[in-house]
Amino acid sequence: MSDASTGGDVEPDHDHEHHHEGPGYATPQAAIEEGEREKLAYVMSLYVGTDVDAPDFVAVVDLDPDSDTYCEIVDRIEMPERGDELHHFGWNACSSSCHVEGLERRHLIVPGQRSSRLHVIDAKDRRNPELETVIEPEEVFEYDLSAPHTVHCIPDGEILISMLGDADGELPGGFLELNDDFEIEGRWEPPGEIEMNYDYWYQPRQNVMVSSEWAAPKTYYPGFDLDDVEAGNYGRKLHFWDWENGTVEQTIDLGEEGQIPLEVRFLHTPESTHGFVGTALSSNIFHFWRDDTGEYRAEKAIDFESRDHEDWDMPVPGLTTDILISMDDRYLFGSNWLHGEVWMYDVSDPSNPRRADSLSVGGTFGDVQEVQGRELNAGPQMIQLSLDGERLYWTTSLFSSWDEQFYPEEGERGSVMLKADVDPRNGTLELDEDFLVDWGECPEGPARAHEIRWPDGDCTSDVWQ
Amino acid sequence: MSGGSNGRSRAYDATLEWPDGRTRTLAVRDDETVLEAAERAGIALPYGCLTGACGTCTGRLLAADEGGTDGDEEPEALEVDDAFSYRRRPLALKDRHRADGYVLLCIASPRVDCRIAVGSSVQSELVENPWK
Repeated sequence: MSDASTGGDVEPDHDHEHHHEGPGYATPQAAIEEGEREKLAYVMSLYVGTDVDAPDFVAVVDLDPDSDTYCEIVDRIEMPERGDELHHFGWNACSSSCHVEGLERRHLIVPGQRSSRLHVIDAKDRRNPELETVIEPEEVFEYDLSAPHTVHCIPDGEILISMLGDADGELPGGFLELNDDFEIEGRWEPPGEIEMNYDYWYQPRQNVMVSSEWAAPKTYYPGFDLDDVEAGNYGRKLHFWDWENGTVEQTIDLGEEGQIPLEVRFLHTPESTHGFVGTALSSNIFHFWRDDTGEYRAEKAIDFESRDHEDWDMPVPGLTTDILISMDDRYLFGSNWLHGEVWMYDVSDPSNPRRADSLSVGGTFGDVQEVQGRELNAGPQMIQLSLDGERLYWTTSLFSSWDEQFYPEEGERGSVMLKADVDPRNGTLELDEDFLVDWGECPEGPARAHEIRWPDGDCTSDVWQ
Repeated sequence: MSGGSNGRSRAYDATLEWPDGRTRTLAVRDDETVLEAAERAGIALPYGCLTGACGTCTGRLLAADEGGTDGDEEPEALEVDDAFSYRRRPLALKDRHRADGYVLLCIASPRVDCRIAVGSSVQSELVENPWK
C-alpha cells in the first residue's frame, strides 16, 4: 500500500481494501500484510564537518532488486545551505492518524541537527521528492530551542520535534510543535519540564510519552569527551510524560549502567506499556513497563560486555547506538557501533530478552571488514527493518564529530549501507553480500549516511492510536 | 593590517592555512567574522550551528601580529583571546582548547593580523578517542 501516488517505476503492485480513511495502516499486523516490499529508502546524507563544499542531502536509494539501478542513489534532494548535519527525520502523518480522512503521509520533516534549520520535503512523487518549505534557525531560536532531533506526527496532522538545547546550545531542551501548514505553533510543553532531551516515542492509548537524554548540544556537538561524563554532563534518565497534558509525570534515573539513553521505543501494539531503550555509553538495553500500581519501572535486560583489543588502552564498549522493534513486536534489533555488530533478540517475553542471532560486521572487531571489496571503515549504526521483518538494513555514521574520533576513515571514504536477510521464524540473520550502497561514490565527494526511512512507514515511524 | 579602513570599519589580514599547504589571505572587517569574510571571498570553510555551540568551524591561531603597534610583541605568544573578539560566547571550546589557540571562526573577528589553521581536520583535534 502507498499513502501517496508513486512516481517512476515504483507503482503499488496491489490494492488492498482499507478500513480506514487516513494515512498508514489500521494495525501493526495490517502494516505487515498490506505494506509492500520497500523499493526505495530515504537516507540522511551529510557533508557537514568535511571540506566538501556542498550542502547535506536526502538520498533516495533504489532497493528494488529487479531494478537496473538497484543499490544506487537515484536522486539527491540537496538542502539550501551547508552545515545542517541531517540526522533524524520523520513524516507529517503516520498510522496514528489513520482515522483522519484527507490526511496523507506525504511530507518529510528533515531537521538540521547542528543548524537548527527545519526542512519540509514534499514526497508526493516518492522517487523525486522536492524541497517545499524551510523554517530558518532564527525562527526556531525565538522559542529558546535548538538542535532538533526526533520527529513524530501528533495524530490530527501536527508535528512534534524533540529539541536538545536552548537557543545558545545549552540546557534546557524541550519540544517544538509545528502545525499542519508547517509553521511553528510554539513550545509543546510548559518550559522547565526537563533539562536534557534526545529521542521520544508516544503510546497514545496509554496516554504516555517517553523521552531520553543525550546532553546539551554544546557538550555533544564538538565530540565525546570523557571529562563530560565524569562531570555529569551526559544523561542517564528516562522521562514519562502525560501525553495529553505535555507534563512529566515520572522520571527514572537509570544509574551508572544506564548512561546516555538514546533510542527509545514502545512496542507497536497500542495496548502495550512495555518498551526498550538502548543506553549507548553503558552499552546496555533497559526494559521499561508500567507496573500494577500505575508507575513505570525500568530494569537492565541486556548487557553487552566491553571487549579487550590489543590496540586499545581500555576495554572497548559496544556503544549500543540504535535499536528498533519488529512490527510484530517479536524481536528487538540493535547495533553495537564500536564493536561492529548487529543483533536480534527475541522479546516475546519483554522482561527476558533471549539472544536469537547476531552478525559481526565492520567496526573494531567485525569478522567481515569488507563487502564487494569495499572496506567498511565503521560499525553498523542506524538500522531499519522491512515492515515484514525479513530485511534489516543499516548505515555506518553516528555523528560527524564522533565519527572523526572513532572511525576517522569514514569521513574520507564515506559511509555504506548494508543489508541482512532475517528469518523471523527461525530467528536468524544472514549478511547479504550482494547488497552494498556506497556513499563514497557521491558526485560531490564521499558523504556520511545516517537515518533510513521507507516511503510508506517503517518500524521506527509508525504509532497506533 | 590591510588598508586600515574603508571609511567606517577597520580590517585585519587573516591568512588561512590548510593542511595541504594552501594559503589565502583575507581582509576581515572588524564587524564581520572570519567565516563571513571567507564566504564573501568565495572560500568554503566548514561550519555548523553558527552560534558558537558546535565547534565545526574551529580554527587554530598559528601566529598573531600586533601590526598596528611597534611590532615588538612576541610572535609566539598566541593569546587567542586577545587576537579575536567574540560575537557570542564560544561554548564549544573548553578552557584547554582556548589555551591551545583554538578559535570558533563563525563568531570570531580578528583584532590583529593573524595566521589561522583551517579546514575540517582542526575540529577533530578538539577531542580524541578516550579509550585508545
